[in-house]
Amino acid sequence: MERPRDPAVHPLKIASSLVSPRSFLYSHKPGPSQAPPKMDKSQQPSSFQQLEKLGEGTYATVFKGRNRQTGEMVALKEIHLDSEEGTPSTAIREISLMKELKHESIVSLYDVIHTENKLMLVFEFMDRDLKRYMDTRGDRGQLDPATVKSFMHQLLKGIAFCHDNRVLHRDLKPQNLLINKKGQLKLGDFGLARAFGIPVNTFSNEVVTLWYRAPDVLLGSRTYNTSIDIWSAGCIMAEMYTGRPLFPGTTNEDQLIKIFRLMGTPSERSWPGISQLPEYKSNFHIYATQDLSLIIPQIDPIGMDLLNRMLQLRPEMRIGANEALQHPWFHDLPQIQAKLQQQHQQQQMAGYGGMIPPQPAY
Amino acid sequence: MDYHRNYRPCSTFFVEDEYGMDTRMRQERQAKEEHQKLVSRERQRAMAEELSHITSDELRDDVLAHMMEMDSQTLPDVESIDIQTEIQWFMRPYLLDFLIEAHTAFQLLPSTLFLAINLLDRYCSKRVVYKRHYQLVGCAALLIAAKYNDKKDRVPTIKELKSMCCSLYDDDMFTQMEWHVLQTLGWTIGHPTVDAFLQHALLDDVYDDPEEEHMALYILEIALFHRDFVAKPSCELARAALALARCILNRPQPRHTHWASQYDSMTLVALSQQLHQPSTVVSRKYASAHYSRVSKIMEHFLNRQASLASYARCTPPVETPVESRPYNGEMGLATPQKSSQLTAIPHGYLTPPITPENEALVHAHSHAQSHLGNHDTTRGIPTVNGCSPSPAPSAEMQYMNSEAYQQEAMYMAQQAALQHFPVAPTHMAMDQTY
Repeated sequence: MERPRDPAVHPLKIASSLVSPRSFLYSHKPGPSQAPPKMDKSQQPSSFQQLEKLGEGTYATVFKGRNRQTGEMVALKEIHLDSEEGTPSTAIREISLMKELKHESIVSLYDVIHTENKLMLVFEFMDRDLKRYMDTRGDRGQLDPATVKSFMHQLLKGIAFCHDNRVLHRDLKPQNLLINKKGQLKLGDFGLARAFGIPVNTFSNEVVTLWYRAPDVLLGSRTYNTSIDIWSAGCIMAEMYTGRPLFPGTTNEDQLIKIFRLMGTPSERSWPGISQLPEYKSNFHIYATQDLSLIIPQIDPIGMDLLNRMLQLRPEMRIGANEALQHPWFHDLPQIQAKLQQQHQQQQMAGYGGMIPPQPAY
Repeated sequence: MDYHRNYRPCSTFFVEDEYGMDTRMRQERQAKEEHQKLVSRERQRAMAEELSHITSDELRDDVLAHMMEMDSQTLPDVESIDIQTEIQWFMRPYLLDFLIEAHTAFQLLPSTLFLAINLLDRYCSKRVVYKRHYQLVGCAALLIAAKYNDKKDRVPTIKELKSMCCSLYDDDMFTQMEWHVLQTLGWTIGHPTVDAFLQHALLDDVYDDPEEEHMALYILEIALFHRDFVAKPSCELARAALALARCILNRPQPRHTHWASQYDSMTLVALSQQLHQPSTVVSRKYASAHYSRVSKIMEHFLNRQASLASYARCTPPVETPVESRPYNGEMGLATPQKSSQLTAIPHGYLTPPITPENEALVHAHSHAQSHLGNHDTTRGIPTVNGCSPSPAPSAEMQYMNSEAYQQEAMYMAQQAALQHFPVAPTHMAMDQTY
């Protein structure tokens, strides 16, 4: 039984009577049962006063902004629209994923504004990114152990929330972690993020800034999972202690060598199946595993244990975000936070933004 | 052999055979490399699987909870689509055929198709769509879905979409419509698709069974065409489709502790009633080896059901001396003849303790009668269908615990569903409402 094929409704002819009305979109009447779209053009870009430039990303520029009505500070992320291919996929993923991820450790997306040739995302305002924070607040970039612990806890909470909601961030680095005046750390820039399935699907291996890229991804694995975000978090933890990136590689191969030099060169014995990965070379220089505490003398033994669990070469061995949050290293967090709070208040009294008293070393 | 060859002192051997050796060696090397590649791919797959297991052990419940939540938030509203003035339900299958063909041509991921159709229907639940723009909305939905799911180099370009629509729309209309769809849906694109839930349901399986998975996907793609399933939660559809696929392929149903076993038997019955006349685009797609030729398997199954049913009509089921053991949940599809349970019930056949398909049955019945002679299959209405619906309580007494009863009820529902297969016109009757 063939379905009656009425030539008039053949899909290719549905639009045969079209006279190309350019403004057809504005002739759309809302349907009777229609709820007004949540993010309509209610807020024009002019309702925000654009202030200084905060940074420039791969596909967007970020400005500081002020809501003209409320005076509230915001971050405005401007995405240039390609007239050829419409809305970039990065923007579609970033916006839809951030709308799903409402959490205290993830930067809030307030609004999306669309104009002629650009898309503007209105975010909660954060003072600076972790990189800048370390440069300005730390001692030669080094943060005190209490701050490191507090930041790591917030970072892992944000990561755990993403993973529980089936989102991989895929670009964790100090520049994408934002800090506000209250000492809160939040995950930002979900331009490379994407939803994953269970079982995990195959992805592109061109993700994460080189320095924070996991060894399995560097070796060409395309079936990575949540563990790639954990590797980045480990690199960030070490960097907060030392003020310097842990593995500052220049190329894919150099990056691997820098990792192996510290963590030891893996073999089939320590990592069964490694020789099957596309970028594996049998002539990798053999390095012995180094003691990380020689490079990060500031770290305490319990913190070292957590760091080691995050920086496992084999993705299977890396600790999960939820498990990491339960690590004994965080047991004294309430006391530490209270201390930080006190410190923070003292700073405020001394006049925030002016001279910042040097951080006491613990 | 090699040993001998290496130690043969004759110098001419090498000279003579140099060319032959060379090619043979090259062939051997090639074969070895091929084999190496295969092994390496296999091992990489195994490693990926192990990694995936770790993630799934750790996050499965949280991810599933989030998916169910998102699912319920991103469903179209059929009643709003009903009141569209220009576009009508009967037009939708044509647009779907077009989108499925485009989706195949661009080699996009399976979930992209389901996502695109979800976006299309959600947009149509919120905006008045002109007939001449229906296809444009469909293209914009496909474009957004591909941008969300697929690799960059797979995403169709606007030029390609334009040529697929025979240049009926200008370039900028695609970008405008894309933006309008995004805005209308409030940028909430992350609808968890039926295939994502299907993967979840298959997690508990010990062995990979591509045939089963493809059959479930085929059923789900057929379901896309029917209004009844447009607003059904994806998780429900996925589980019911998998259970139905297992019936058809005679595979065991999962243990009741598994997530996949919590399917809704009503949905299963409803799905089973739509299998008869799938869109030719869909059945052609699933006739390929890539999809285990499941549309062919389904066709054979339906034909067999039809002939069995007509056989059942001629010869009423006899009490077979098969030992009567209760349904243990491991039995897949059982035809009326095979079922020992049916004969064990004192009042002949047990009517499943759900009513709606009785309605459908009556409907189909009357419809079938009016068409009698047109379809061979309609003559094969099994006698069981003629039974008047009887309440189930009497049967309830026979079971020691309610769990077994529930299992039985589900099984009976499946039975009923399968007995419906020969009644082809149900589908046609449904179609007229489009």
